[in-house]
Amino acid sequence: MTRSIWWVIIPVLVILFVLLGYGLTSDPRHIPSPLIGKPFPQLQGVDLNGQPVNLGLVDDKPTIVNVWASWCAACRQEHEVLLRGARRYTDTVSLVAVNYKDELVNAKRWLRRLGDPYQWSLHDLSGRIGIELGVYGVPETFFINRDGIIVEKISAPLTDEKLAAGVALITP
Amino acid sequence: MLRIFKWLGVLALCSSLVTVSASEVNEDPLERTMLDIAQKLRCTVCQNQPVSESNSGLAKDMRDVITDKLKQGQTEAQIMQFFVERYGDYVLLEPPRSGNGVPLWVFPPLVLLLAVLVAIYMMKSRAQTAAPAVQELTDEDRERIRRAREQDRAGDE
Repeated sequence: MTRSIWWVIIPVLVILFVLLGYGLTSDPRHIPSPLIGKPFPQLQGVDLNGQPVNLGLVDDKPTIVNVWASWCAACRQEHEVLLRGARRYTDTVSLVAVNYKDELVNAKRWLRRLGDPYQWSLHDLSGRIGIELGVYGVPETFFINRDGIIVEKISAPLTDEKLAAGVALITP
Repeated sequence: MLRIFKWLGVLALCSSLVTVSASEVNEDPLERTMLDIAQKLRCTVCQNQPVSESNSGLAKDMRDVITDKLKQGQTEAQIMQFFVERYGDYVLLEPPRSGNGVPLWVFPPLVLLLAVLVAIYMMKSRAQTAAPAVQELTDEDRERIRRAREQDRAGDE
């Protein structure tokens, strides 16, 4: 009689342990972006030289949008990757940037010293463009395909492999 | 007499303090609404803190965005929607009651209900099992009782 009750309790415990196991082993810092699969928002701003620029698909090519700041140590780490990538993929993709919450002088000095892989960097001093893009922190990188859809978003410093994988996703 | 004056003085001082502190409360209703909304949003860079309490740069920016949108006449639902579209359900401190959030709300009461049902079932089945029948006393038992009583009486005397 009482034994039949275990047929109810055990499955519930198993489900609970599976859920807990899944929750405890997954990375709480990895948060899937709701923007993936959505069109990149049309955003206007000015670049570091004060020229108006439109964020989104650039030159009708698949576009990479990198969010960076001169105060961000991890951005320096990925900068080499972007310089290499800009040379390697220059024919197939556009590479532009959002310069996030940065002083103009510092941002310009940074690019002068380390090299400028970007076609332009939109100057987002207030961080409003960052919020429009659901940015948590720098660096972040968006991969936009030819239809203007965000295919991938990487919220970590890029590596050559990650960059290549991202480019493969947006180039036919 | 002097003591009375002293107490009156203290009383006057207290009442003057009360009026001063009361008159200083001057709240901006827009800020109140902004903080109400910010309280329901997670500061996305600090793991588990509402936007209203965080000192991080992003939380401050988000508060400014809320204030701007309120000034534009947007409703709380519209503002929440704006953040959810960009940061996902993660930005909501209280998980949504529809879609992906449903299991979170349904599972705990369900488990509690199950536990109560199991407890009731167990207690009932225990109550139903009859206690073992009491055995009749054998002649040997009666003899032992008689002897014990006799001994007891002998001890009393």
